[in-house]
Amino acid sequence: MLTMWTMWRGCCTQLLWTRANGKSPLSCHAVRRCSAPALPAASITALQAVDLWRRCFEQRGVTEPRMSSHYIIAHLLGAKTIQSLEQEKLIEFLSREQMEQVWELCTKRLSRVPVQYVIEEWDFRDITLKMKPPVFIPRPETEELVELVLTDLQTTPGVAVIADTQRTFIEVGCGSGAISLSLLKSLPQLKAVALDQSVEAVDLTWENALRLGVQDRIKLHNMDIMKDGEALLSICDPAVALVSNPPYLFSDDMSTLEPEIFRYEDHAALDGGVDGLKVIKQILMIAPQILLNHGRVYLEVEPRHPPLIRQWVEVNVEELRYIETRHDITGRSVSKHSLCVFKCHMQELHMVLDLQ
Amino acid sequence: MLCLRSARLWSSRLLWRACPGDPPLLLPLPGAQAAVPAAGKKDQVEFPALDEEQLEEQFVRGSGPGGQATNKTSNCVVLKHIPTGIVVKCHQTRSVDINRKRARDIMREKLDIFHKGELSEVVVKKKESVVKKQEKRRKVNENLERKRQFKEALAQDLKPGEKSL
Repeated sequence: MLTMWTMWRGCCTQLLWTRANGKSPLSCHAVRRCSAPALPAASITALQAVDLWRRCFEQRGVTEPRMSSHYIIAHLLGAKTIQSLEQEKLIEFLSREQMEQVWELCTKRLSRVPVQYVIEEWDFRDITLKMKPPVFIPRPETEELVELVLTDLQTTPGVAVIADTQRTFIEVGCGSGAISLSLLKSLPQLKAVALDQSVEAVDLTWENALRLGVQDRIKLHNMDIMKDGEALLSICDPAVALVSNPPYLFSDDMSTLEPEIFRYEDHAALDGGVDGLKVIKQILMIAPQILLNHGRVYLEVEPRHPPLIRQWVEVNVEELRYIETRHDITGRSVSKHSLCVFKCHMQELHMVLDLQ
Repeated sequence: MLCLRSARLWSSRLLWRACPGDPPLLLPLPGAQAAVPAAGKKDQVEFPALDEEQLEEQFVRGSGPGGQATNKTSNCVVLKHIPTGIVVKCHQTRSVDINRKRARDIMREKLDIFHKGELSEVVVKKKESVVKKQEKRRKVNENLERKRQFKEALAQDLKPGEKSL
């Protein structure tokens, strides 16, 4: 049975070829998918396979030809990186079955399927997560977000004193579970409530939670923060932190995305509306209602966002105080993303809760 | 823990080559790296802490937008210690975060060797391990010799007519 995304992907492929090649969909060249090189009759070594496919990817314009070849073949040989494989293994001849597996997976990559979806897993910090299209693939920059949250949870005066067993954080837009599960794995007493508007994302996060053995400390909800934001109050207790890598791309930029993303990842996990702030604003509006006093909001956002968000919060969400913005680690003049941190400062609300 | 926000950029040559100089997979690693075989692994040795202000870090991901707009799998971390010019490259794992940590571990070991030379913990440990191996070999040879002599003596005892009980 064709799933929605498979059909959609098929359509997008046609459309994309048109855009990329400037040819009409009726042209054979534009519509034809990339066909794989023939499976050699004689066996070859892993090293030869790596080289063959690297060249093939290069010829077909597949991005990261060398890395793609390395990761896929290493994975089939039971390793995470090609460098970690013993040299003897690299020069052994592949079995027929292994050859077929290499060909099957590398052929997928020819269609620009992201490596993470091809090998169905990826690493995030010190955990390995199952990957499954169209659930959003965790980006390496988001590892910094987790580091920041971890540091604060362990050192911030108002937050660190809350008994370990009572501490809960909320994640909006959990995707594969990267942020939540990574935090849970690092802090054994921490609890999480995570939500995503995509049922595939919620299912995948649950599967990953089971794999990592943290399923007892996470509660998952399939809900759309845009529609059911208020409902959040009724499903969880006030939290020490709200963390999110929300969709933040500008709608206009969506069509310029590389095929790996455009064709295979959930657009709803990427598109943040005209100004990329649609979901961010909603999260910030709701935050004071679900955070403990001194609780914090951590957001990964587009590099152009921080001053806009800061201004907007000052006017519209008086309970939140801006703390800081961190730019990514590359140190270039143009950041690739930024992390915004806001603190919840609700003296009045705190008093109301006390009286109850 | 988070990287410096140094605005200093390296020369574009270094910046834009994605993990250059990746050794061919079958050749031995360059000498400098061979000196720290347990790169990033836990050791009993404590090296002096790094001063982040003296480090420049590049996460080689190429040009263009980042974050959600990109999905690149190359996560090589290149770390440079400005005062000494020592450069460490790490792409041992699929996690940038772990590569950054390991790059720092390797840098600490390299700096230790650089500063202390013969007295460096790494060099000392290596020497100790060599000495241990030599000692072990000596003992094994001794044992073998003893066994050989015992067997010879036994064989002589059993020669017919030589001894009477």
